[in-house]
Amino acid sequence: MKISVERERCEGHGLCVDAAPELFRLDDDGELVLLHEDGEVPAGQEDAALAAVRVCPIAALSAGVPAA
Amino acid sequence: MATTTAPMSDIDLYSDRSILSPYEDYRALRALGPVVRLNRYGVWAVSHYPQVYQALHDHETFRSGAGVGLTDRLNQAQKGSCITSDPPYHTLARSLVSRHLTPKALRAFHEYVRRWAGTLVERLIARGGFEAVADFGQAFPLSLVPDLLGWPEEEGRERLLDWAAAGFNALGPPNDRTLSGVPLLQEMGEFLHRMSIPGNLRPDSWGARLVADAHEAGIAEQLLPALLGDFLVPSMDTSVSALSGMLLLLGTHPDQWDALRADQSLIPNAFNEVLRIESPLRGFTRLVTRDCELGGIALPEGSRVLLLNGSANRDEGHWDQPDVFDAKRPNAAEHLAFGHGIHGCVGQALSRLEAHSLLAALAERVRRIEVGEPSWRLHNTIRGIARMDVTLHV
Repeated sequence: MKISVERERCEGHGLCVDAAPELFRLDDDGELVLLHEDGEVPAGQEDAALAAVRVCPIAALSAGVPAA
Repeated sequence: MATTTAPMSDIDLYSDRSILSPYEDYRALRALGPVVRLNRYGVWAVSHYPQVYQALHDHETFRSGAGVGLTDRLNQAQKGSCITSDPPYHTLARSLVSRHLTPKALRAFHEYVRRWAGTLVERLIARGGFEAVADFGQAFPLSLVPDLLGWPEEEGRERLLDWAAAGFNALGPPNDRTLSGVPLLQEMGEFLHRMSIPGNLRPDSWGARLVADAHEAGIAEQLLPALLGDFLVPSMDTSVSALSGMLLLLGTHPDQWDALRADQSLIPNAFNEVLRIESPLRGFTRLVTRDCELGGIALPEGSRVLLLNGSANRDEGHWDQPDVFDAKRPNAAEHLAFGHGIHGCVGQALSRLEAHSLLAALAERVRRIEVGEPSWRLHNTIRGIARMDVTLHV
């Protein structure tokens, strides 16, 4: 599973960080940082990733499972 | 795919009785199903959390550009605002407004807001008794936002609350409350038109920069007043309601107030829960752009849905004991009081900054919030306290 951020849409509200602190962080400039390279979601954290995507108030996040 | 015949209801959500006591009616609608035809208004009321969420996130099927109210004539008057627009205009317009309202942009105001909140709370403690709305709920919105917008010194602000109230009432059906506000909307429109002329707003203010940015981006002149209105109108009644509601809910739950005082990290979640229980915005409409299905009900192209945020936020299918105020509720952040999706409230970071600062200032100084019985506003769109006595005990 991979998380994508639509950068132009993200406003840095940080609800994703609250929902999945292992996957997201806001840096000192208030910009969203994906903690794993390319938005990769480690095994076992899929639920947290989906919760974060759902709770983003601006629909700036999406999660997908890349086709084989 | 088989769809059932749509349930219908004669419930009048815009009667005085329903406005003053909406939650029973929301519950009755939910019991009929997620999507129910409101016979009186010819719209489909969407009352369950999953379907409200789904519609908010499907902005192509459930379109905002044709207006988000219940009266077509007034829907047209809002053209130019972010809320009454679709991509691509929406994407551009929102970016011009949001750049001043992100948490990052608001950092510059943290200290100012913190000090302002402390001063206000100390003043109210010294006064003994005060009124929740006029003395607390309205204080911040009336001063902070017009200042930041660049409202000229010589223009009085006494009309602002009336204009904003009329703006929100205009989202209702064509009833007296809506139509009596039309002259006020015209007055506000003239003011915003004047302010959209370069040079009339305070230089370097959000408003002045919005006007300059909009010119540079090639946005048509006639859309500027509504776009400027995006800064002003949406921030008034909603914030006033949320801030007054904070006092009510924490005043009537003293054990939870004690918990907040002991641990201020609970403040953000507590504010989420305030917004969930007494959502300032009852709901907005959307226009259905294609034959589709929502909650098992067939919706024809051209119909209008009323997305009831206030009902979704108490949907027993989504929330455990939905009518109970619980500042520690684990999923309080899922509320839809700020809407959701591409039209999710662009001012939500400012709303949170105001509320968190005031809660922190109260938590540092006030042992007990004593509240009297609230009376509620008779407003089409805003759920908010009209009047409530408060005393802060140290």
